[in-house]
Amino acid sequence: MANVEAEAVDFEPEEDDLMDEDIGDGSPNRAAVPRLKSAITGGGSSSASKKTKGRGFRDEATAEADRNARMSARFDSLDSEGGPGPERSIEGWIILVTGVHEEAQEDDLQNTFGDFGEIKNLRLNLDRRTGYVKGYALIEFEKFEEAQRAISEMDGTEFLTQGINVDWAFSKGPIRRRNVRRRYAFSYSIDSPLRKCQTQILGSY
Amino acid sequence: MAEGDESGEFYLRYYVGHKGKFGHEFLEFEFRPDGKLRYANNSNYKNDTMIRKEVFLTPAVLKECRRIVAYSEIMKEDDNNWPEPDRVGRQELEIVMGNEHISFTTSKIGSLMDVQTSKDPEGLRIFYYLVQSGVLFTEDYFTAPGKI
Repeated sequence: MANVEAEAVDFEPEEDDLMDEDIGDGSPNRAAVPRLKSAITGGGSSSASKKTKGRGFRDEATAEADRNARMSARFDSLDSEGGPGPERSIEGWIILVTGVHEEAQEDDLQNTFGDFGEIKNLRLNLDRRTGYVKGYALIEFEKFEEAQRAISEMDGTEFLTQGINVDWAFSKGPIRRRNVRRRYAFSYSIDSPLRKCQTQILGSY
Repeated sequence: MAEGDESGEFYLRYYVGHKGKFGHEFLEFEFRPDGKLRYANNSNYKNDTMIRKEVFLTPAVLKECRRIVAYSEIMKEDDNNWPEPDRVGRQELEIVMGNEHISFTTSKIGSLMDVQTSKDPEGLRIFYYLVQSGVLFTEDYFTAPGKI
């Protein structure tokens, strides 16, 4: 399982080369599909190893050109990549709760997580099809410490008879294999969070 | 959630748009394997400008996305019998999960009635609801009041 997870984030070879050999084990797709780019386009050699389906593959060249045109412009982000971003405003610290009981109410979350600090924002999306809770909630605290405490005290606990996991929602940078691997090496469980990094929400546009 | 659903890489991209009186208007977002979530919303109506934002998600979020996608069973569907993209609009859903890669296209879906009367209501319904989940998830972060 650990390898499997590592593979999921394993697409950025730069500066992680040291780990390459280890990671390769048990990751059968890796050699064939190491890079995001090929996965997106579905073209080239990479798709050979994947089962492809859908009309989107029909006119790939045009579709890709269109897509590149749309996505090539600059995206606003926080300074996570070191560039001079747009005016920056950090709204708060957002955590993700997974394994939320399908009949949970906002109040239930409010009551439990409100203990760690004032909740600035709470999102509990419903499955439009079933009308039940989708299974996750996003909770925003004003202070880093509040969010951090909510994570460390609530992760892996039981909430409305169901085990929940609590982790940061946003990260300062891309997922790096090194971190993932290190975490997994000793603390893997089905839904355990991987990384406790500082998170931020996008600010101004 | 099946064990296999946990495995392999994960990429998801959704696009909906059309070209018309106000130019090319569209909404697009993608979840990339490195955790980057990109969101673009271009509406020229009333001189709205293009919104392009990106943020990095933690592995925990990606995992939840993957769970939702796996649960929807969209990967078992096929767009063969879905309405073709037309002048009114185009939707694209591209997902890489494990060793499967789908890239579906269809027209805009105005309501569940469109789904019902299509040639593949079951499949299209899965698409419809999954897309709603995705839009909800991303819009929570990129268009919520106070966030812009």
